[in-house]
Parts: sequence; structure tokens; C-alpha cells
Amino acid sequence: MAIDRKKIIENMSKIEIIGNEEGLIDTCNVLVQQLPTAFWNGFAERLTRQVDPEMLESAEWLLVNAAHECGYHTGYGIITSEEWKAIVQPMLENVPEDILHGAYAVFTAWGWAKSEIIELVPKEKMVVRAYDCYEADVVGYGAGAKMSAYMIRGVSAAFMDLAYGGDYDPTGKKGLRTFKCDQVKGIECGDDYGEFVVTRA
Amino acid sequence: MATFAKTELLLDHKFDPVTCRHTMNGWCSVLHCHHYSALYTQLADDCGFMDAKKLLAEVSEDNFYTMLVSYFEDHNIEKVEDRISIAEQYYAAVGLGKLEVVFAGTESAEALLHHSHVDEGWKKKWGKRDKPVNFITCGYFAALLAATFDRSPRTFVVKETESIISGAERSRFEAAAV
Repeated sequence: MAIDRKKIIENMSKIEIIGNEEGLIDTCNVLVQQLPTAFWNGFAERLTRQVDPEMLESAEWLLVNAAHECGYHTGYGIITSEEWKAIVQPMLENVPEDILHGAYAVFTAWGWAKSEIIELVPKEKMVVRAYDCYEADVVGYGAGAKMSAYMIRGVSAAFMDLAYGGDYDPTGKKGLRTFKCDQVKGIECGDDYGEFVVTRA
Repeated sequence: MATFAKTELLLDHKFDPVTCRHTMNGWCSVLHCHHYSALYTQLADDCGFMDAKKLLAEVSEDNFYTMLVSYFEDHNIEKVEDRISIAEQYYAAVGLGKLEVVFAGTESAEALLHHSHVDEGWKKKWGKRDKPVNFITCGYFAALLAATFDRSPRTFVVKETESIISGAERSRFEAAAV
């Protein structure tokens, strides 16, 4: 594999992103914002802690789904961006697997989670580890029982959709949700890292 | 109208190569796209099991209140006009849009939103709609006012009375002390 994670992270983490004169950031074919991680964690955690237990699964699905759609469209925007073409594309040898490895380097560089693929069965399965992720910050002391990395779950499933779910569909009607992701370990639960298993939906 | 020299927002963006986290003025921050903010907003709007619109606004208020108060303290920002200017600049710098505070006092206030990440993002995904969607900015404006006037969160109730998402040229937020 020719993917140089260190180089990608070094380069992609340096990209300065700031609002234009309209206060908007238009990049990678999407509008982006750069908000405190505590804001996203705050909403997800309060929502999932305040719902009745029987509604927890539904609330979690909605949070994962938000990330799934985001990961699908933004992921496509990233792998077709000028930055990707300049930095990552020259490293690609084995497609789409190298694209996935490169995508996790960008995922890391953009502060979503310090993560990498540790197992990849083309078209079938991917296992991702996150050694540091902001979603684990919901627990500041001790270990919780609830796994909380909804964003990583959704985006990981989306990356497999992009790799093996057929051509990108801007409407999201085809190609999206061909994979699902389960979190099996969590830093917030006392594990050394978060672990995520993506399989066919 | 009085004029004053605009106090410039200072942004200190860092990337930690060990944790691979970004910080903005010491606050861990992350890039997310309009799909993410629109879907969180839709989740809040549709949520049948609790008032998640209020929840989203309150989480926004709590986080931005803490951050603005911290900034004002760290940079000795005392004047009302400077505090408001900093908050407007921060809102734009992080990509939320162009917010203009029309007037502000300890009992009431009003702001106009000329460009909006949330509204534009929603429109890109689903088009226009009748009801406002910018719960995040309701919370942000409440935080701005509480931080500016040295009050606590939940001092102000904010309503979005005109909306870009509903076809208005700009959104309008009206605030009143509770």
C-alpha cells in the first residue's frame, strides 16, 4: 500500500478553513462549519440520556444516520476535491481500498477521530480503530456503559457505501445505506480504543 | 449613531499531532458539513419523544456562552459593543453565517441573519419550508446576550420571527428577558 498516512495528516491538517465575507465556508462541494466538539457531544448525550429507555435505539439511529448521510456526501466531496487530488491521489495504487485508507487519514487530519483501518475485506467488511476521538469526551471520569461514537459509526458506514455501494448518488437514494456499522469498543467505556465493525446492511 | 473602532477577533487555531485534535482558542473543535447540521436540526424538529428543538437551542446556548465568556475574560473585552462585535465575528469565522445585532439591551434585543449555514444547508437538502429551522442560532443569540450583559444562560428567550428558509431575504431573531 502506497498510502502515506503521516504525510496526508500533516498536509490535510494544515488547511486553514475560515468563513468568507458571508460567514460561510464552501469547500469539498459542501458548506462546512467548525464548531466546538462539546456542542455536538452535548446534543447527542443529552438526547440519548433524556429519552425513555425504549426510545434510545431510535434516538441513536437518528444520530448515526445524520453522520451516515454527512459522511456519504462530504466523503465524496473530499475524494473529488483539489486537495485530495494534490495530496492523496498520487499515492493510490489499489482502488478503492487505498481510497478508504486515505479517507481515514483525512478523517484523522480533520479532527473527527485519530483512526485507521485494521481489517478490510473488500466489498464485505471493514474494522476501524479510533485511538482518540472527541465523541469519547462525554465521559470525563470512569467508564460509561453506553457507546457514544455515533458520528464515527455513521461516517464509517458511509465510506464503505462510497467504496462498494455503486456510483455516488447525489440524491442519496441509491448507494447510501448499503453498509451499517456497529461500535464494539469505546474509550468512553473504558477500552483503550474505540472499535467499529462495518458490514453489509 | 455612535461609531467605534472594531475590536478584531483573535483566532488561535492549533492541530495536535499526537491526539490529532483541532483547537480554536483552546476549545476542541471539528469540521462538519451542512448535511450534518441540517440532519441534526431535522432530528430536533421531528423528534417525537421530547422537545429537541429546545434541547438543541439550549446546548448551543450553553456551549457558546461558556466560550464567549471565556474569550471576553481572556482578552479583557469589557465594552458591550466590543463583545457584540467579537460574537458576530466568531459566528462568521466558524462558518455559521453573517449575523448582525440590530440592538441589544438587558431586557430585549434583535438580530438579523443575512447569510446562514443552517438555512442554506437545509435548503440545499430539502428546499424551503414554512417554519423556521435555526434553533442553533436561537441558542447562539441567547448566549451572545447573556455573555455580553454578564447574565446567566436562560436569561433571554429568543424567537426566530422571519426566516431565510421560508423565503425571507434575511432571518430575524427577537429576544426578551424572562
